[in-house]
Amino acid sequence: MSAATGGPRAARAAVRLRDVGEAGLWRAVDVYRVFTLGYAFVLFVPVQDRYRHPAGAWAVLAAMTAWTLFVAVRRTRSPRMLWADLGVAVLAVLATDLVDSPARIAAGAATLPSMWTATPVISFAVARGWRHGLAAAVVISVTDVVEVAPHASSSTVDSVVQLVLIGTVVGWTAELYAAGRRRLARATAVEAAARERDRLAADIHDSVLQVLAYVQHRGTELGGEAAELGRLAGQQESRLRALVAARGPVAAGEADLCALLAEVEAPAVSVAVPAGTVMLPTRDAAAVVAAVRSALDNVARHAGDHARAWVLLEDEGDMVTITVRDDGAGIPAGRLEAAAAEGRLGVVAGVRGRVAGTGGSVTITSAPGEGTEVELRVPRRRAS
Amino acid sequence: MTGPGDLPARPVRVMIVDDHPLWRDAVARDLGEAGLEVVGTAGNGLEALRRIPAARPDVVVVDLQMPQLAGVETARRVVTEFPGTRVLVLTASAERSDVLEAVKAGATGYLVKSASREELLDAVARTALGEAVFTPGLAGLVLGEFRRMAGDGDAGGGAPEVPRLTERETEILRLVAKGLTSRQIADRLVISHRTVQNHTQNVLGKLQLHNRVELARYAIEQGLDGAG
Repeated sequence: MSAATGGPRAARAAVRLRDVGEAGLWRAVDVYRVFTLGYAFVLFVPVQDRYRHPAGAWAVLAAMTAWTLFVAVRRTRSPRMLWADLGVAVLAVLATDLVDSPARIAAGAATLPSMWTATPVISFAVARGWRHGLAAAVVISVTDVVEVAPHASSSTVDSVVQLVLIGTVVGWTAELYAAGRRRLARATAVEAAARERDRLAADIHDSVLQVLAYVQHRGTELGGEAAELGRLAGQQESRLRALVAARGPVAAGEADLCALLAEVEAPAVSVAVPAGTVMLPTRDAAAVVAAVRSALDNVARHAGDHARAWVLLEDEGDMVTITVRDDGAGIPAGRLEAAAAEGRLGVVAGVRGRVAGTGGSVTITSAPGEGTEVELRVPRRRAS
Repeated sequence: MTGPGDLPARPVRVMIVDDHPLWRDAVARDLGEAGLEVVGTAGNGLEALRRIPAARPDVVVVDLQMPQLAGVETARRVVTEFPGTRVLVLTASAERSDVLEAVKAGATGYLVKSASREELLDAVARTALGEAVFTPGLAGLVLGEFRRMAGDGDAGGGAPEVPRLTERETEILRLVAKGLTSRQIADRLVISHRTVQNHTQNVLGKLQLHNRVELARYAIEQGLDGAG
């Protein structure tokens, strides 16, 4: 086990402490500490006359009591407290050598603190997981063996096995508990964000969108400058509509292509997607959206001023198909091949390059006067 | 646009249901100026259902998000309680699932409020004739819905009568979703405009029939059919 001394490692340890540092778990540790202290008294009092130094033993027990009260009252669980706890337990075990009789020790009698020494093992396990719990158990076990040396008995083996089990099982459980709590916190945050978004969306729909759509509608009717204002209102309306319709990431590593594509909607760009979600690994989804944007940029640049575009997303299970069609000038036969041959890759490279990483394919069909159709077919992979 | 000879002799009677007075008035004015007869307006679904018997509209233009009976439920009740009355959904920013539900519930058309005046007039006229009014967005939703149902049917194996699209219907829906007009689709597939219309209407019909069957089955399972 390595000491958590300074720098990022200490910071990490502190973070983990806070993660798992649930008040309820620590209260249980405190209760365990008090009960095992009582047990230590119960074991000691009937046989105190057989100790070499009963007064010394009482002093050790008094120190253990003081420490138990101190930890319970203090309540902070800093890394320093964890180490101090372990140190106190080690000292209590070693002190047994000074106060108990060699005969009793050789006969396999329990150490003076007995089960109380499992407390720091549990603390390490709760604070930092099973590895640290196991390491603390090893430290206490070694101390136990040193204490009885050279008379290791079956009871020594028993207590070593018990400590190791306690350290790993409690640590494992604490890690599961911490992971559960983190998941719950994440889910709660996502849900709260979604709720807030829904509230905003409803509000925006009832106010701003209605007015923008109305301005666009009337502006177009009135013509002239009003039509220009109407056009601007229309642009903002569709941007806002796309924004409101967009949803955040649903699962880690995956993104909803429906929501992402909704954002490319514009007055001259219509987006058709299925209801619900179409999940892709985040990187693939981003690549698809970049390819679609690249195709749309090309429409805006080359297809003519009044060209419109349509984006269609189809979910075929193991395959996702995205089509970008425009009603612009189209590309004369052979132009694409000629451009590629001359090293001017343009739209083909822009779209293909972006889709290449997804293992997908691109088909471009076009004829003069009939617009251009870019079809992306992307295999659905698991999020990695 | 409407085909020659298809128009009814009298003006189309329209009711507008929207909780925004601004919009109600703008749409009413546009439709009125174009020669349609606006026979009533309502601020929510319940009000609309109360007024329909007296107003007798051919087409009810419904917003989806309204207080007191939202658009989906309004559409469902209008088409069941007043057969022959058609519902066109006109909405600013609807959840995709709401749009799909409204269409399954019986709406035969869908338009966003940013659509132009001409698009609105065309949509109302076609809805009055009983044609399906598909925006590319709606076509994408419907395509996705049929794929989803087919997927569920394959996985579960328990739902025998999951409706499926024919190849031709899928082909036409994809072209609609990619922005082709029914005229352009007819040209590309070398079929008549009328045939394209029939296919899109069939698609909506399948979806709505399936929805009614599902609702009925659900009602029977829950003991809500009123027969027992």
